[in-house]
Amino acid sequence: MDFDLGAGAAELRTRLRTLIEQHFDPGFLGAFTDDPADLEATQAFCRLLAGEGLLTLAWPTEYGGGGGSLWDQTVVREEMWAHHEPRGAQYMGLNWVGPAIMAHGTAEQKALHLPPIAAGEVIWCQGFSEPEAGSDLAALRTRAEPVGDPARPDGWRVTGQKIWTSYAGMAQWCIIAARVGAGERHEGITMFLVPMDAPGIEVRPIRSMLGPHHLNEVFFDEVPAGPDAVLGAVGGGWSVIRTALAHERVGIARYARCERLLSEMGRVLAPHWDELPPSLEVAWARALVQVRVARLLAYRTVRAQENGEVPDVAASSARIAVTQCDQAVAEVLFSAAEHRSLEAGPDAPVHGALEDHWRYAQAATVSSGTIEVQRIIVAKSLVKGASA
Amino acid sequence: MNPELPAEAVELADAAARAFAALGDVDLARRAEVDPSIRATEVAPVLDRLGVADLDPRDDDVTLAAAAALCEAAGRVALPYPLAAALVRDPDGRPTAAVPAGAARVDHAELFPEWRVGPLDGSAAGVASSTGAALHTRLGPFVGDLTPAAGDGTAAPYDLLVQQCLVAWTVLGALDRAVALATGHVTGRVQFGRPLAEFQAVQFQLADAAVAVAGLRELAGFTLWRLRAEPTGARADVLALRLHALEAARAVLRSAQQLHGAAGVCDEYDVSVITRMVQPALRLPMGAERTATELARAIASDGFAGLFPHGADLRATGEPGR
Repeated sequence: MDFDLGAGAAELRTRLRTLIEQHFDPGFLGAFTDDPADLEATQAFCRLLAGEGLLTLAWPTEYGGGGGSLWDQTVVREEMWAHHEPRGAQYMGLNWVGPAIMAHGTAEQKALHLPPIAAGEVIWCQGFSEPEAGSDLAALRTRAEPVGDPARPDGWRVTGQKIWTSYAGMAQWCIIAARVGAGERHEGITMFLVPMDAPGIEVRPIRSMLGPHHLNEVFFDEVPAGPDAVLGAVGGGWSVIRTALAHERVGIARYARCERLLSEMGRVLAPHWDELPPSLEVAWARALVQVRVARLLAYRTVRAQENGEVPDVAASSARIAVTQCDQAVAEVLFSAAEHRSLEAGPDAPVHGALEDHWRYAQAATVSSGTIEVQRIIVAKSLVKGASA
Repeated sequence: MNPELPAEAVELADAAARAFAALGDVDLARRAEVDPSIRATEVAPVLDRLGVADLDPRDDDVTLAAAAALCEAAGRVALPYPLAAALVRDPDGRPTAAVPAGAARVDHAELFPEWRVGPLDGSAAGVASSTGAALHTRLGPFVGDLTPAAGDGTAAPYDLLVQQCLVAWTVLGALDRAVALATGHVTGRVQFGRPLAEFQAVQFQLADAAVAVAGLRELAGFTLWRLRAEPTGARADVLALRLHALEAARAVLRSAQQLHGAAGVCDEYDVSVITRMVQPALRLPMGAERTATELARAIASDGFAGLFPHGADLRATGEPGR
């Protein structure tokens, strides 16, 4: 047994922390603030990482990537999320839109889309969820109608509504799931790659506690898409979605930000530590254990991937633990900040990171698959094992 | 990075599982309550054949992992034997156990003439002998008290940590079995015309219990590694494992019993026996709240290994704070 990620991982971690420290103020809280300079800083940082060969560390070498190990990728994921994702919105293109195009795209699509993602020059958004298709994604209603001969269409017209679309207001491209033909459920779902400046697309921001730019509604009104806009086979969208989700199974390394904030707030509290209520010290200890367990469960998923397994159940277990950890740690940190917990901005405790984290944590058990769906996956696997 | 138990440990656990099944599985605990002597006449010889006498978890990575896997197998059947303590012997063959401060109470006390005991805070460790009487209660049928005895046998702090880590592995086995039993029950039991497992409320309870056990398993493995990698710095790690084991036990056993309905408190059902028999491990040498307090102190004095510094490893800054 060995839980050391190795010297290479430690070196990579140090390198990333050094770069972040050099290029961001301690008060940086991510790209999605009211200050446009934050978004610009993340764009510049992506180009810097691309120049250092770190942006596509996880990509296969044949697509210009670094061919990094799963553990290298884990370190990148941890360090980026711990430091408020200094890649901004681009992680989505890097983590799964790019890999989905590698797996399902034509040579032309790869040539068009992969180099800008690898260079840190493009932001993608995903059009999956709809008002009537949340956890039940296969209920989606957005339609793509063929132009010309349905058997050999000259293109498509996409019409429908997407919701909860992160980064839609700043993205240049969207990967959108739409229904082709009369099929139901998974049948007929087709993936399209559409530029966000295409006519007929309207983005409406949704005001939320997550802050500006996060959530949006996106309306598609007969948006034109060429025949070359289909990713994978017509009607084969579900397998593209599965590929995409496979690259996101481990999910966001929320535990890493939790641990960093516990460390940073611990540093702030250190001179007064003995004055804390004993129950808070105990809650703090419990939070550190919860963070450690969440990290170890995430590592179990990575290990399963390393062994070539499809870690559905391990990934769902890790997600349940990690998202609950996110919310529990947010509460402990707010207890520690006491009357100052409601303050935001650079003069607030830990430069406003606690307040930012608490707001963002409220969506942890919903985004990227609700905790209820994860529980059902885990339970069905248990029952299947017992029935076998 | 390799979170897997070594093959030798897995093989030993498999052999132990077969041997414990041959002794009657959870029925062994039922029989021992009626006739405690079978711990010496039936259990001890089986443990001898499994090589427990030659297995010292302090030797190396593999023996520590093997001892842990063995304890997990014991926990799965509520083995009526102080296996974790017996695996951490002193040179004179005395078992080692952490005890409550000021009260030398251990499970299966009278099974050995002498013990080597000490509280987890490292104070007042020494040799103790059994008073000969057990509580004979439903939750502690074999629990007994020790009195100080003459003899040189200071319990090394590391030995107490190893014993506590192995106790947590025993709890892990009990919880894993409890989830399996609950899953089996809700899969087979039909109410309102369908198996209970088809009800989402039941599925959620099962899932939460399974995730708690999965997390405990990873933490238990990590703690083995910490005991080897940082033998003098693993106190907080072992306390963290104990705390998590206790909290997982509270939630998992509660769900497992609840999902059995009234059967969950009936000794005819294994889940009830396992829940009763694991109680001494959860209450001795201390319960969850005192363990958490001790953990907080250990973090403050020793730090806590992770991606960022904590406790003693922090240096205060002048950042905006309180």
